[in-house]
Amino acid sequence: MIGFLTKRILQAIFTVLVVTLVVAFAIRLTGDPALISAQGGGTVTEADLQRIRVALGVDRPFYVQYLGFLKGLLTLDFGRSFVGGTPVSQLIGTALPATLTLAFASLFVSIVLSIPLGVKAATTRGKWPDQAIRIFSLIGLSFPNFWLATMLVLLFAIALQWLPPSGYDGFSSYIMPAVTMGLILTATNVRLVRTTMLDTLRSQYVMVARAKGLSETKVLYKHALRNCAIVLLTFLGVQFGGLLGGIVVVERVFNWPGMGTLAFDAVAARDYPVLQSVITVLSALIIGVNLLIDLAYGLIDPRIRTQ
Amino acid sequence: MALKLTRSLLGALAMSTALIAASPSFAAGKLTVSLSQDPGSWDPVDTFLVAWATVATNIFDGLTYRGPDLKLVPGLAESWQVSDDGKKITFKLRQNVKFHDGEPFNADAVKFTFDRLLGDEGSKGPQKSNYAAIEKVEVVDPSTVDFILKSPDPVLLTKLAGYGAMIVPPNYIKEKGEDYFNTHPVGTGAFKFISYEPKIGVKLEANPDYWGGAPKISELDYKFITEPATAVAELQAGRVDIVVPPIIPISMVPTIKGDSRLELMSVPGPTVDALRFNTRDGITADVRVRKAIIMAVDRKTIVDAILAGQASEIVSFQSSLSLGYDPDLKGLPFDPEGAKKLLAEAGVKPGAPLQIDIRGNDATMNEVAQAVSSYLQAVGLTPTIKPYELNVLLNDIIPQGKTGALFQQKWGGWTFDYDNTAYSMYHSGEKWNPYEKDAELDKLLESQRPMTDAAQREKVLRQIAAYVNDKALELPLYNSNAIYGVNKRVKNFTPAPDNRIKLNEVTVD
Repeated sequence: MIGFLTKRILQAIFTVLVVTLVVAFAIRLTGDPALISAQGGGTVTEADLQRIRVALGVDRPFYVQYLGFLKGLLTLDFGRSFVGGTPVSQLIGTALPATLTLAFASLFVSIVLSIPLGVKAATTRGKWPDQAIRIFSLIGLSFPNFWLATMLVLLFAIALQWLPPSGYDGFSSYIMPAVTMGLILTATNVRLVRTTMLDTLRSQYVMVARAKGLSETKVLYKHALRNCAIVLLTFLGVQFGGLLGGIVVVERVFNWPGMGTLAFDAVAARDYPVLQSVITVLSALIIGVNLLIDLAYGLIDPRIRTQ
Repeated sequence: MALKLTRSLLGALAMSTALIAASPSFAAGKLTVSLSQDPGSWDPVDTFLVAWATVATNIFDGLTYRGPDLKLVPGLAESWQVSDDGKKITFKLRQNVKFHDGEPFNADAVKFTFDRLLGDEGSKGPQKSNYAAIEKVEVVDPSTVDFILKSPDPVLLTKLAGYGAMIVPPNYIKEKGEDYFNTHPVGTGAFKFISYEPKIGVKLEANPDYWGGAPKISELDYKFITEPATAVAELQAGRVDIVVPPIIPISMVPTIKGDSRLELMSVPGPTVDALRFNTRDGITADVRVRKAIIMAVDRKTIVDAILAGQASEIVSFQSSLSLGYDPDLKGLPFDPEGAKKLLAEAGVKPGAPLQIDIRGNDATMNEVAQAVSSYLQAVGLTPTIKPYELNVLLNDIIPQGKTGALFQQKWGGWTFDYDNTAYSMYHSGEKWNPYEKDAELDKLLESQRPMTDAAQREKVLRQIAAYVNDKALELPLYNSNAIYGVNKRVKNFTPAPDNRIKLNEVTVD
């Protein structure tokens, strides 16, 4: 077990390093960050641009900049943003909790909706509740998330004035963003739950459980669902990764100061430290989460444990 | 025992209530303003963003002040005297002004500000080059300073009203350090800084000792909202009181006008858009073709139809508020037949291809370019529109001269002075001019820079505009308005064309 863990952790670190190198290289192909500052409308000479390049540190050779970044990572010093010099750790310190809050809230909404609905669809297979749920799922898969977001804002924030239209302050501001993302994830997850439940419900041990006289609820939720859980867990892990990257469009509509917006703005501003740090943190998180999920399989499915 | 406790508690309660009732009544109310970008640092030398100025006008002051009426009046300097050769300006400073941290405003503070701007700290940022005309600042006495200039700069007095020239507190910076000052700014302005959350917002409170009159509101909050629809939604929900330009797109103007709680304020702004010509490659190298293209497009209809009255037509690449604007300058008329004749004369074959490069993120220009395209098709050309990502267009395509036949240039100088635009666009060797090398135009441009007589300068600037018009170096399109969305509870608010809104006179219901 320890050997397995060590191997996986080393693999994870290696992957993150490769990602940082690729990103550091790729963004430097996109243009000169000093020129971004020179858009104020005044005349900027080549000498001015060179001064700015020196101040930003981009006049140094690539390997010097990259190794400097890695060294900083060891002490959790992510450098300073090219836009105004804000310490990147401070920016990530606000953006990461915001993104994690939205990610967990969306997953929560999605689990709360997709499990009961998926089970209902499976148990009423072919009848109208199943049809309705499958149509809802299709609609959810087809709608663009920003459209859904904007519609919710129009209804709940402007027309009814029940919820704030945007922002990241207080529980009421979490509701619409989480529901938007949650509904979209539910569209996929409800089908997943339904399909795996249908498979499971046909299996022998479920027949035995019913024959033993257990209540239907117990059969479904205590026994059958456990099998679903593995598949669902894998999907949730992948979806969590996507949510971490931040659904930039939803973040923009709700003015949610998350990692996605941070990265997006950094690309537009050619803000190397921010972009490199955000991607490093996100890839470390995603790889870490997937590692945890792999380990969690062992908990849920005893058969995997003994391998 | 219990009775004694209760009595003393009641006594305490009564006393505190009396204290609260007796406390002086401050200016009341909170104003919330929506900004489109976070400048990241509040230090005047660090930034070039307009969003910075929207906030900084309330925290800092300059020696001069320019308000929404665009007239230059005394700021931290009560009066000034320009020497005959234009190379020295003597400022008499305002007395009894303090910075928010209590230190006095005086000549030393002015010298410190400009030594810093022109020195190492300023070298790291984009503001220094705007003040390159200043050689040094000398203290004459605690309330008098001399600015010694390398060469006369007629726009300097305007530039002293904002951005890099805003006055900063020497003791505070020396004590707390540059990094702290970036995120905890202190100035002499109408509002004091309270807190800044990167990417979220910044909070200010009233400075009751402000030399220009204490603010009538007690709190001023700024929120960073990048998405136009979200900013308007917040305005409609009553959580934001003012949305500053350029965030409100023209398509949302009816939404705001239709809401009885909101008011739309639209004033001519500094931003102008044009499709400039590639005068070096292809058919547009011929002046007749360029004139034909200008004549083929009905610019008035485009402004009326697509811009819905939220912009004005332009003949030269400047706003009507700019120095150098000539109301009598006539552009080429809309004449498709004349255009076809010119094209034939220049030997252009029917169906000749033409590439129009635009900013991909500019929704308005996307529509305008399509309209322009159909006008050009009507005279026998085959235009294609190529959208570019903003920074690629600005930093690679235009400066390297890799554009198509026409390319979008958007320009907006807060100084409202045609010199800044014209020099950057038409002088040979400038970043925004990859194609033209016109010695005569260069001479004209250089000649007006040292002129301190505004009337004389204006004459030369008008000459330049006429020259550019004759040579058909661009297809001038429109001057966008600065569109503000304001909640009706805000009273006494004057929209500024340059986004620099000082809010000490404003009240809220």
